[in-house]
Amino acid sequence: MDTILQILASGLTLGAMYAISTAGLALVFGAMNMLNMSHGAILALGGYLSYFAVGGMGLPAPVGVVFAVLVCAAVGVLIYQIVARPMLRSANFETRIFIATIGVGVILESIILETFGPQPKPQPVSMPGSLTLAGVHLPYQNLMILGIAMLLMAALGFALQKTRIGRAIRATAQNRDAAQLMGVPIGYVYALVLAISGGLAAVSGITISSLSSLLPNMGADPMLKAFIICVVAGLGSLPGSVMAALFIGVLEAIVQYVFGVRFSFALLLILVIIVLIGRPQGVFGRVQGVRL
Amino acid sequence: MTARQRDITLCLLFSGLAALLPLVSDVRYTVTQTTFFFIWATVVVQWNLVFGIGGIFSLAQMALFAIGAYTTAMLGYYFGTSMILAMPIGALLAVLFSVALGLACLKLRGPYVALLTLCVAQVLYLTIVNDTDCFTNPPSGCMPLMGGVRGFSRFGDLGFRELLGSGFYVGRYYVGLAILTVAMIVSIIVIRSPMGLAFQALRDNPVYAAARGMDRFKYQLWIFGLSAFFTGLAGSFYAVNTGAVGPVVFSFSHLLFLLSMIIVGGVGTIWGPIVGALLLMFAEEAMRELGDMRDIGMGLILVVCVVLMPRGIVGLFEDLVRWRTARTAQAVPLPRRETV
Amino acid sequence: MSAELSIRNLTAGYGAQVVLRDLSLEITEGTLAALIGPNGHGKTTLLRAISGLVPITAGQITLAGTRIDPLRPDAIVASGIVHVPQGDLLFPDMTVLENLRMGSYLPAAARLEKQRLEEVFSLLPKLRDRQQQTASTLSGGERRMVGIGRGLMTSGRILMLDEPSLGLAPIIIDQIYDVIDTLRGSGRTVILVEENAMRAADIADEVHLLDHGSIAWHGKGSEMSGRPELLETYLGS
Repeated sequence: MDTILQILASGLTLGAMYAISTAGLALVFGAMNMLNMSHGAILALGGYLSYFAVGGMGLPAPVGVVFAVLVCAAVGVLIYQIVARPMLRSANFETRIFIATIGVGVILESIILETFGPQPKPQPVSMPGSLTLAGVHLPYQNLMILGIAMLLMAALGFALQKTRIGRAIRATAQNRDAAQLMGVPIGYVYALVLAISGGLAAVSGITISSLSSLLPNMGADPMLKAFIICVVAGLGSLPGSVMAALFIGVLEAIVQYVFGVRFSFALLLILVIIVLIGRPQGVFGRVQGVRL
Repeated sequence: MTARQRDITLCLLFSGLAALLPLVSDVRYTVTQTTFFFIWATVVVQWNLVFGIGGIFSLAQMALFAIGAYTTAMLGYYFGTSMILAMPIGALLAVLFSVALGLACLKLRGPYVALLTLCVAQVLYLTIVNDTDCFTNPPSGCMPLMGGVRGFSRFGDLGFRELLGSGFYVGRYYVGLAILTVAMIVSIIVIRSPMGLAFQALRDNPVYAAARGMDRFKYQLWIFGLSAFFTGLAGSFYAVNTGAVGPVVFSFSHLLFLLSMIIVGGVGTIWGPIVGALLLMFAEEAMRELGDMRDIGMGLILVVCVVLMPRGIVGLFEDLVRWRTARTAQAVPLPRRETV
Repeated sequence: MSAELSIRNLTAGYGAQVVLRDLSLEITEGTLAALIGPNGHGKTTLLRAISGLVPITAGQITLAGTRIDPLRPDAIVASGIVHVPQGDLLFPDMTVLENLRMGSYLPAAARLEKQRLEEVFSLLPKLRDRQQQTASTLSGGERRMVGIGRGLMTSGRILMLDEPSLGLAPIIIDQIYDVIDTLRGSGRTVILVEENAMRAADIADEVHLLDHGSIAWHGKGSEMSGRPELLETYLGS
């Protein structure tokens, strides 16, 4: 019983981390049909920026986090302005942006490597200590990650449903031309969506590195997992992505317990392949259109 | 002379010129680097068929390459199979794998194909790297079935060492050149065939092509299988040429390097991939001194090309030629406003 | 009466494909103008060029003396031109009410949202009952009504309707035309694009005939019915 609860607890923490990084990816794909292959590098950048601000400059942790979030959001806007905007109206935008963002990811990752070196670094933003509840060992850091993820997802959901700009984002995702004809400045919406995605990636990078450590290529794994989650949920479905993230997190914890860490990722990938072949639009997705 | 005959003649002419290189240069480095160029050019020429002509954005090409390489290495290592036999077997296995993959993913929409094929490649990579159970225990130490992180070496070669002595690398040079020449001629035939033209119609206007009753799926599967043969063969030859195969063939930076060749040269053009492969191998040579900065350079090249010249250098050149010949006719003015 | 919307020597199209050539057109304030012509001769492209969705390569478009052709689509909407597109282009996962409220997205329209919503509901009573229904589950006629209602929620001075009767049952077409007729008295200028030339000419103050990307004839709606040869030449009916 204790073991099951322990697995569930670590699975939900994993899922919560995945949800943060997946939400940004799903938002960008939903709003502008863009698979952002530089997401992983932005995530790593967020982790390193917080390391730089808190560990290097000695700033308080919350300030460091905000700094990382803002810089990563700015990187998102830059990617829109320099890379995505010139090709938005081209016929094969989906493929071109996929390839171009691979390049952006490589550039960002190499810059991190040049600046901070290849050795693993500790993430200073973390909370030591733990509590034991009903025989389950719960580090404060894990609880905080769960809390932050829930807070961020709730805030994002509220913003999309209830605010004016949230409605504009949803409208753009559902029908770009119609949104423009209603007076929605879609260029602004796209830049905003990439900024939000960048900010979420930063948070995700900080939380992930707080449980392991900072490495220049630390974003590759979470990004591939975020893609898997998006695909399982149906690309662009935000509520579906959050649910799928939690599901995959728990599944991964179970697989790790039963089969060992070695094969957990490969098994997850096989799961995606099966989902894609059986239900190409994802579990929550529809054949056409997107849902935000 | 038809366009097809012209391109094939040009191809044979270039091959003939390339065949002279080992005769005029006795710098071993130049010859062996050019042999690598033949391997990568073969991969990208065939990838271009899948991506540029078939319109399938597959990222499984390096996995197919690895299947060819690993099959050849494993046949040699475990069974002592002659490399001359092991190479085509590797290529055929890549075809089988590719057709199975095609059946699974070709009905998916663009970005899903990219993700699925990337996932498949990753599964193969992780399976190889994470397998630490010893399959055999040679004197050199524990050997997993698929070679694990270390990979395979000493599994045989094409026998040029006995035949040519210290000039063995020249023999390999000509094998590489032959593979590339055949791969290139096949590519020209496909692109200039009714099927290739129909595919370009499909790419430019899906509705029209559908109305013509094109069985898109069948043709895509065909291209998938055909290109897998040469990609697998290039992988097999890579194994023989380097004498070692390891999981490094799956690395992302490698995939990126090859993808950049196609993008820089020109997706969907006949000569683009070759031009791109040539340019990027020179660029890599030039950036060798830069260390980690090399990756920044590669990333920049890729981004700039995708954003500024989506049809690559060859596409740009074609547009220039068309523009010069059509200058007297009505030129297409640039739009005055941005819609986004 | 002044020309509210004036188009001079407009050339536009998609990439190398030129659809509109040297087209000039004037629309008088407060009138209902019909734009007719055979399929594929640029009616929809003209509306999309006016609203900024299609790039322009030459010419000018002015609204009440101010040039709007260099503007982006959202700025054109803000300047007062509202395009109700062909095929409705609703937001499929939003409810009817959310769709209508997107019409009053811009601040100028948002201030009048409650009042306009009442107007739309009284003009299209069916929408009041369907408020909470998701747009993708509506019937074709209902979708068209949401599309028109969404256009009416805006603060646009000029309303451009692209084929509002396309693909609808005759009884629904009658309802839609009743709504268009009531718009005439509302002070808004209406540009109506129609395949069904006679029906449009019947209701319009002015008729513009679009052929091969430019205006081939224009005149009063009443003149149109007296000149059957126009229909024969340009519309082949």
